[in-house]
Parts: sequence; structure tokens; C-alpha cells
Amino acid sequence: MADNCFAGVDVGSLSTDVVIINASGKCLAEVVIATGLNGGETAQKAFDQSLNQAGLAQEQIKAVTATGYGRASVAFATGKTTEISCHGVGAHHLFPNTGTVIDIGGQDSKVIQVDERGRMLDFTMNDKCAAGTGRFLEVMAHRLELGLNELSDPLNIKGETVQISSTCTVFAESEVISLLAKQTPREQIVNGLQRSIVNRIWSMVTSIGIHGEVTLTGGVANNQGLVLVLEEKLGKKLNVPENPQTVGALGAAHIALRGYHK
Amino acid sequence: MIPNRKKYLKQQAQNGQKIMGVLPALYPRELLWAFDILPAEIWDPPGDILRANAHLQATICPIVKRGLEFILKESASVNAGYLFPHTCDSLQNLATQVKDLIGTSQPVYTFYNPKAQFNKTTRRYYLDLLQDFQTTLETKFGPLNRAKLMAACELGSKIDIRWLTLQNARRADQLELTNPEYFQLVRAGEYLKPEDYLTLLNQVEVQAGPVHQSNRRLLLSGILPPHEETLSFLDELSVTIVADDLLSGSRRFPITQLDTPVDPFEYLTDRHFLLPPCSTRASNLKERIHHLQKMISESQVHGVLFNIIKFCEPELFDHRFLVKTLKQNRVPLLSLETELLPGISGQDRTRIEAFIEMLDEQVSG
Ligand SMILES: Nc1ncnc2c1ncn2[C@@H]1O[C@H](COP(=O)(O)OP(=O)(O)OP(=O)(O)O)[C@@H](O)[C@H]1O
Ligand code: SF4
Ligand SMILES: [Mg+2]
Repeated sequence: MADNCFAGVDVGSLSTDVVIINASGKCLAEVVIATGLNGGETAQKAFDQSLNQAGLAQEQIKAVTATGYGRASVAFATGKTTEISCHGVGAHHLFPNTGTVIDIGGQDSKVIQVDERGRMLDFTMNDKCAAGTGRFLEVMAHRLELGLNELSDPLNIKGETVQISSTCTVFAESEVISLLAKQTPREQIVNGLQRSIVNRIWSMVTSIGIHGEVTLTGGVANNQGLVLVLEEKLGKKLNVPENPQTVGALGAAHIALRGYHK
Repeated sequence: MIPNRKKYLKQQAQNGQKIMGVLPALYPRELLWAFDILPAEIWDPPGDILRANAHLQATICPIVKRGLEFILKESASVNAGYLFPHTCDSLQNLATQVKDLIGTSQPVYTFYNPKAQFNKTTRRYYLDLLQDFQTTLETKFGPLNRAKLMAACELGSKIDIRWLTLQNARRADQLELTNPEYFQLVRAGEYLKPEDYLTLLNQVEVQAGPVHQSNRRLLLSGILPPHEETLSFLDELSVTIVADDLLSGSRRFPITQLDTPVDPFEYLTDRHFLLPPCSTRASNLKERIHHLQKMISESQVHGVLFNIIKFCEPELFDHRFLVKTLKQNRVPLLSLETELLPGISGQDRTRIEAFIEMLDEQVSG
């Protein structure tokens, strides 16, 4: 039975993720649920589920770090840290040679440079608009009447492509509508969309520069087609965690652990 | 207590004060004072932008948009015309548009700022520009009273000197002012009469020693300080902006103290060429970086915050180079982009917090 445990709670714009680790950093629970209207309540729900999963009582959790855009709403947190730091720390724990982290979430994308100890050296974050985020792809999937899994199919990016010139979600959507009207095959449109989102991310990557191994985190790392396009652009393999959505929560849990021992 | 801008200007106008609406940024304020004109600077008037958009491209900076929106409202507190200094192409175009196409009930003046380094020719040129501006003002407001100009220069010089003292005190943590309070003080100079501004600056208490040891010290660069909510958020995070490289701030004050004015025109010319390097005067980039580095080390800041106005061509042009060079020199920096909207976005909160987390980690090793 674990004695001192630590939790990270990432209240993102789309998903709320909880990770519990023990004092030696071993992962005991991992939960992902959709962020509801009330971030605080969702966090509590996800936390309860994770305690259940790990078979722990709340008293055994010695510190909780909240992160994500709803980090301030987590009443039971003992500290808060931005998701930018957390993704850096989380990626470092999974892939210690990480020098660059690309986190593509639902509403934000970030590129983070970390040093050999996982400490942040530099970062950049997308501006207000949803271009270059998971939300962009969701809007397009809906328009194309495709599920996220179909949209993510790596086969789509192997064939022909079309140019999607607008990076703005609203304009890109109208481009998609007119492509559909011209009977353009959906695979080609998907291919074009994946490439357009990667171009958007790429401009952020180049503003920070590529250092060491590159780790992709956030829910969009589940999109295999996008991973392929990004690797093509990068000219090398990306580190893709098994569960990319919980990397922020994992980092938060490690920050909680570190803070407890300070 | 800093008088409320709107009320103050309204009161001044009711008292018969001549008030000229002045767009950013550099102009011979002393010359206007000598004609008994109070310059009321128009940087970022609040409110929605409604009518201005019809006249401007979407990719024009919000200062120009807000400036035009203000002019279109025909504010009663501007009664002596508008002055458009040649700060950038966008403002120069706006001057032409307002004068020739859109029209306003007020006269429109322009003042050209030489975009060249200091030398004998540019010095001569600036002197000529001052004299031309004097002539223009005389046709409307009567002959210049040289004694008044002399007095205006002396007053201006006192403001500059006091300002230098306060800047140094801020750096040494000797001012008990929050970030918003500090920049309210800086910006009060945009509309107060010089004698009122000097009184205000003199009222600020400089403590004998540091009032708090701020260990999160930033240098702020850009055109304007961020919105008050962002400044307060920095206070919440125990961040102090201890020095600025703002066009609306320190870039309008000479780097060193000038001698007491003897000949007003010579004095104003010297003053102009002693202003810190600035994107809007097309200063040499190496000079700008040198100036920033000097401020960084002298004020012992931990990092630099760039507040970049969206679509501001002169600043964006320099920004790339400044960022690249500062990063090479391992100076932590954060760039925020603003459209001059009120409040602070969740994303900017995250950016700022992450930046501070990064600084703290670097400081704690
Ligand atoms: N299997 C999948 N295939 C493709 N995309 C996926 C998959 N699973 C999740 N995503 C994408 O991941 C996104 C959500 O990612 P994540 O949970 O990291 O976001 P978040 O942390 O809530 O958002 P943010 O960090 O922007 O606040 C969704 O937009 C979704 O499109
Ligand atoms: S913000 Fe930049 S572009 Fe706009 S008026 Fe000022 S200098 Fe010109
Ligand atoms: Mg996230």
C-alpha cells in the first residue's frame, strides 16, 4: 500500500486529466474525462475516479498540483503551475532526452524548450484563434462528417493533397465547404487540413528552434496522420507518449512531489 | 492624486484653455506650451471602434484606429486642432486622410521627425523643422513670445530632471508604487499641464532605501504599457517593472540630463537627439540593443517583457532582431501581443505565469 502519494490535475479546455504517482514517481492512476461546464466539479470527479483506480484514500495524497486553463478552479489543490511548465516536466519524465515539447491541446498549442533536467528554457503559445489546435480539427471533422479516428487515419496523408490556404478556422471551414462542393475526395481534404495545421505549428517550432529529441503531447498527439506529417517536416521521429493527454497531469504530479520534499 | 483625464480636460476647456489633440509620439511640447496650448495626447482612447473601421484597412494598428475613432467623435475638449507627428507611415497616412478625405472641424497640423542619426546636417534640419512649425503655429495663434518659450523649456527641463530621479528611484525600489500606479504617473504627462505634471511628480515620495526587495524584476519594452489589469496581475505575482523602454515612457526622455536651456531652439534640438534609440526614429538596431542591454544590467532585471501592439510596423521590424539577440545573450524574455482591449486574457495570464515560473527556476538554479 502506497503511503505518500501525489496528484496532478490538468483542467484543460476539453479534457480534465488526473495522474497519481507514489513517492518514487511510479504512476498509480491515470484518468481522462471531458471538462464539463464547471471545471471545479469536473476536477473533483476525475480526482475521485483516480483515487478509486489507485485504491487510495484522499489523505494519502500529500500534495496536489493543479494545472491547465482551469487550474484556479481546483479547490483541493495545494499548488498550481501552468500547463506549460507541466508539459515540460511530464515530457522529460517520459523521455529524458527531450529538448523540445510540442503540446497540441483542444484550444491551445505550445512549443516548449527544456533543459536536460526538464526545466523550461523558452516557450511560445498560439494566439487567440483556434488554428493549429485540436478544436480546428474537430470543426473540420464535423464538416467532413468524419469521426476523429477517421480523420486521423495515416492513410489519408499518403495520397494526393489539396492546398488549404487559410489558417483561420472560419475561413478554412469555408474552403472545405467549397472543396466538398467541387467533389474533392475527402481524403485529399483531410490531407490538406493536416498539413495546414502542421504548418501553423511549424512556425511556432521555428520561433523557438528544435533542441534535442522532440516529444509531442496533448490529445492531438493521438492523431496519427498529423504525427506523420510533423515527422516528415521534422525529418526525424517524434517521441509520442502512450497517453499523450495526461502528460500535463503527470508533470503536475511530479511538481507536487518535488514541492513536498523541498 | 492623479486627476481623471476626461474631467481634467473638460475643466480646462471650460476655463478657456486651448487644447490640441496630439497623436503619438514625439513633438516639441515646449513650443506648444509657449503658445499656451495644452497638448492632450491621443494614444489609446477607450471604447468600441465603430466608425473608424470604415476608413482603415484591417491590418492597421489599434492606436491609429482608436485615434481616428476619437477624432470622428469630435470631442469638445479638443479646440485647437490635431497634431500628427510623423511617427510611422500609418500615422502619416492617417493625417492625410483626416485632412484631405475624412475632414474634421479642427485644423490638422503635422510635425516631421527626422529619421536619421545625429550629425551636423540632421541637427540643422531639425532646427529648420522647429522654425517651420513655429511659423505654422504663428499664423493661427499669433506671434511666438520668446520669453514664454524660454520658460517652457525651463519647465520641461525640470520635468525631465525630476523624471530621471524617479526612474532611478524606481530601479532602486525606492518608490512605494504598484505597477499600475507607476504607469498612471508616467501617463499623466499625456494630458496634464506641465506645471501640474511637475507638481505631481514632485509629490511622489522617494524613500531613503529600498521599500521592498523585489526579486522578480522586469524591463518593459514596447509602445504602451499593458492594460491595468495585466499590470495588477504582475503585482499579484510579485513582479515589479523597474525600468521601461516604452515609446510612451522613457523613449521620450533624454538619456542624460541636459544643461539648463540658453537658446530654446538649440535646447530643443539637443534634447531631441539625446532621446534613447527608438524604432519610430529608425534608430540603428545595434544602438537599440546596446541601450537595452545597458538598461538590463543597470536595473538588474531578471527578464524583459515586450508589449507589442498588433500590426505596429516599426516595433515589429525591430522586435525580431531584439528577441534574437537577447536570446543569444541568454536574457529571458516574453512577448505579449496586444490589440489594446481592456482586461487580460486567460492566455496572457498563462504566458505571464509560465514566464515567471521559468525565471524562478533559472534564479533558483
Ligand atoms: N484519438 C484521437 N484522435 C485525434 N484527436 C484526438 C484524439 N483524442 C483527442 N484528440 C484531440 O485532442 C484534443 C484535446 O486535447 P487535450 O485533452 O490535450 O486538450 P486540453 O488539454 O483539454 O486543451 P488545452 O490544453 O488547449 O486547454 C481534442 O481537440 C481532440 O481533437
Ligand atoms: S503603434 Fe506603431 S504603427 Fe501604430 S501608430 Fe504607433 S508606431 Fe505607428
Ligand atoms: Mg492541455
